[in-house]
Amino acid sequence: MSKAANHIDMSVDLGRLKLKNPVMTASGTFGYGFEYAQFFPLEKLGAVVVKGICLKPCHGNPTPRVAEVHGGMLNAIGLQGPGVEKFLHGEEYLPFLRKQRATVIVNIWGRSIEEYAEVASKLDAESEGIHALEINISCPNVKEGGIAFGTDLKLASQVVSEVRRATKLPLITKLSPNVTSVAAFARAVVESGSDMVSLINTITGMAIDIETRRPKIANTTGGLSGPAIKPVALRMVYEVARAVNVPVIGMGGICTGEDAVEFMLAGASGVAVGTAIFSDPLAPLKVLSGLEEYLRRKGYHSAMDIVGKFETGKK
Amino acid sequence: MSVIGEILSNEVLADNYYRVCFHAPEICRIAQPGQFVHVKINALRERLLRRPFSICNVEPETGSLSIVYKRVGAGTDVLASLPPGAHCDLLGPLGKPFSLPSPEETPVLLAGGYGAAATYLLARRSPKAGLLLLGARSKEDLLLIRDYEALGFDVKLATEDGSRGQRGYVTTLLPDLLQDKSKNFRFYACGPHPMLMALGKILLEAQYPDSELSLDHRMCCGVGACFACVVKVKAETPEGWRYARTCTEGPVFRASEVYYE
Repeated sequence: MSKAANHIDMSVDLGRLKLKNPVMTASGTFGYGFEYAQFFPLEKLGAVVVKGICLKPCHGNPTPRVAEVHGGMLNAIGLQGPGVEKFLHGEEYLPFLRKQRATVIVNIWGRSIEEYAEVASKLDAESEGIHALEINISCPNVKEGGIAFGTDLKLASQVVSEVRRATKLPLITKLSPNVTSVAAFARAVVESGSDMVSLINTITGMAIDIETRRPKIANTTGGLSGPAIKPVALRMVYEVARAVNVPVIGMGGICTGEDAVEFMLAGASGVAVGTAIFSDPLAPLKVLSGLEEYLRRKGYHSAMDIVGKFETGKK
Repeated sequence: MSVIGEILSNEVLADNYYRVCFHAPEICRIAQPGQFVHVKINALRERLLRRPFSICNVEPETGSLSIVYKRVGAGTDVLASLPPGAHCDLLGPLGKPFSLPSPEETPVLLAGGYGAAATYLLARRSPKAGLLLLGARSKEDLLLIRDYEALGFDVKLATEDGSRGQRGYVTTLLPDLLQDKSKNFRFYACGPHPMLMALGKILLEAQYPDSELSLDHRMCCGVGACFACVVKVKAETPEGWRYARTCTEGPVFRASEVYYE
């Protein structure tokens, strides 16, 4: 077999966003990239999606903030972060990512619609090295902002419209699974100007320490992530991919290349690895090589070839 | 760095306490006192997260790295069952280390329970021997006494039930030392969070702000990315504090840095 026949084009086309491969990091699980650069070159990733950025520094929630559960974990970190100014200028943040030549997607959130727009416009003004924004309307662990916007169709549309007005950068909206119809939210945010959607954020859950009769995390409830949620995430990606005509980024419990293949077959053009990184910092690269191995074994020439190629008809 | 560590030995130290030695020469070469390794127990399939353990000792010549653990749950149950020859994934060495005492200083190590494991390498690398004040619930929870004595450390004991040493917390062993200003003491501590908070305040009041406390909290990524393991440290914020990550900004903090509620 010739070398050319062996070559698989791993790049993916997400409309206004072109990535060298479909594998990203899920926001909140990869810090700001800096923390993991000791393990591999960040430019190997399709994109680094950084932890949520808001207008001002944020303390986050009281501790304990995480608890391990069967097949995953609960977290209620509460979006602790440096704020947009420090993200733009602090040496461990965007300036570092620029030097690493990473493809950067900045996850943003606010306590009000105005704050979302203001963060977006500040990032837009110094957008060198930023390839897209991901609007977080789905964090279940903050009282204001986050999920309050992601579980109300009207508010979700308003946030996206205002952010759309504030920036020309490609926009991804990260959807919450904690709704009756995730497809309805996907349609609403796309109509309001989102170029893409990503899903799922964590599923709200809880765990109790029966010895102390207290919740295992200080916030009582938190977001469930990890392989335990993969079937739910896959079903939602499938529903959303059929509901909208924009690229979909799938995530939720992806640990292996085979997991990524499932999401792409269900209609995702990109995938993100999250909780698996806590177990293995090299998980995103292993997902990428597993995906490539699958494509080679099945004789595909491009990662895009399998997007949405899920067969529902009878054999 | 991420390495595969083969288990060389995994032995019972006392009651529910174990010491496991891994072959991990790369980590041994650069490990410093107070740092930790983040261990992935591969046999635990449905439990994804790594477990952090203070590095107790390293032997760079043989590449052996030891940690001490208490069997408390699913993770440590499985770890205790692993025989020599089994493997675990190790990330490390991680975290900010203790600073070594100067040759003029006498180290005083304050340890609660298996916190004694976290100060052992510090004792070994201190220019001169000092004291270990070791407190625990009961005599069965007092660990590594002979190891410290072999380094020439003077070991003083306290147990909550009075089964060995002085009855009470490790703090009951402190007042005499704090009054003796003729000695050039340098204090280090590792143990349960309430003990460290109490000690930090006492040491600050006694004018030992550079005392070092090894704090930890339920950890997740171990490399500063997830912000799970935070503790409050003093900061110029409206509240007077901020949350610092124990995995990368700690686990070792100076007593003067910590925010006491």
